[in-house]
Amino acid sequence: MRGPATTRAESKEKACQGMAEDLEFYTVDPDDEDVERRDIKKLLTECGLLYEIGIEAFVVCRDGEKLVACAGLQQNVIKDVAILPDYRGGALSLTLVSEVTYLAHSRGYSTLYVYTEPKNAEFFRGCGFYDLVEMPDTVVLMENTPIGIKSYCKQLQKHRVEGAKIGCVVANANPFTYGHRYLIEQAAKECDWLHLFMVKEDVSLFTYQDRYYLAEENIQGIPNLTLHAGSQYMVSRATFSCYFLKDQGIVGKCHTAVDLLMFRNHIAPALGITHRFVGTEPFCATTNKYNHDMMVWLQDPVRGAGPALDVVEIPRTEYGGTAISASEVRRHLHAGDLDRIRNLVPPATYELLKTKYVPLVQAGA
Amino acid sequence: MELKQEALAGTLESSDLFIRVSPSEDPLEIAIQSEVIHQFGEQIRATVEEVLAHLGVTRGIIVIQDKGALDCTIRARLQAAVMRAAGETTMDWEALK
Repeated sequence: MRGPATTRAESKEKACQGMAEDLEFYTVDPDDEDVERRDIKKLLTECGLLYEIGIEAFVVCRDGEKLVACAGLQQNVIKDVAILPDYRGGALSLTLVSEVTYLAHSRGYSTLYVYTEPKNAEFFRGCGFYDLVEMPDTVVLMENTPIGIKSYCKQLQKHRVEGAKIGCVVANANPFTYGHRYLIEQAAKECDWLHLFMVKEDVSLFTYQDRYYLAEENIQGIPNLTLHAGSQYMVSRATFSCYFLKDQGIVGKCHTAVDLLMFRNHIAPALGITHRFVGTEPFCATTNKYNHDMMVWLQDPVRGAGPALDVVEIPRTEYGGTAISASEVRRHLHAGDLDRIRNLVPPATYELLKTKYVPLVQAGA
Repeated sequence: MELKQEALAGTLESSDLFIRVSPSEDPLEIAIQSEVIHQFGEQIRATVEEVLAHLGVTRGIIVIQDKGALDCTIRARLQAAVMRAAGETTMDWEALK
């Protein structure tokens, strides 16, 4: 069977056996291999790209000693694809994409995403990638299947409810607080039907399974609501990678538009969503920027292919004069201050915190 | 044959094809992209359907990026992908004819 993650030694051996041409392809871990990392950085700079933090592996290609191409992998997202100008347009680029696809597969990632400039989209189309969404003149998000988003939207359509005002809330709820309950309740009151999506990406303190369970428990009594599982097509590493880096304070080069246009062009039309509800964000810069960008990318009539939506910002509910936030709950949790949490979260959340997460945090500390 | 896990076969190099097969609850869905789709699209699809029928694959998603592969290459790559996805390690060469 064909091995995906070839080391440099194996690649050299193949070359000696005459199985490969002069070009060597192999995989490197950029955090482990200083020389490789240095050469990759140099190549990226020459190609006008930035070395991105958090790339777990690169497939690289050397012509003799010279590094001529690289493609990085961050979980299921291909990043930092660079090829020296002299080596472009030939078989090398196709091998590079094949190799990085096998590498991803060997790491358990099947559906892959790539961000690329619109001028390079055609190249990836030739490698089996299909356009998901384009932020004009800036970036295209592509997926390596023509079926993914289509079959996802087909599934969503089964939950479509007709009405004049169909709302949507997308929540991470890490963990679910009275603030989330308030936002969802207010939104549901204003709508004929409300769709609630839980962010699926499992990088928060609270697991996706627990966040989903708490949402299920805490939305009881709201009659006009459908709770949906999250997906890779909304607030995920693929659509909105920097959201998950927000604790590291990386906000600058953040393509919120990609996530928002995915919502506007694919998800909202599938469910007939007309309004997106969001809580005001007084604390977190990334989320605040996302809210602000929502006004632009969802509301502006000409920005997206899908119909424009109304964005409704609902002021956060407060306790004791301060807006309730999940980050504050996490702070109290880490401080072991369970009493102060009691007033901020519904009973189901409190129970789970007490029985599972307090011991977990203590064990970690 | 039942597809149990996702599997890949082939490459994107010229005269080859890249195949990804994945399990699914739904009936077969086959997506083919090829540089020669206008000329040989129907023929490629017929070959793919024939191989899948022969191997008894009735459910799954088959995504193909073709780079001008010959008929025998298409068969071999698709067989390999299906065998990998089904977790079959022993080859029944007769069945693959």
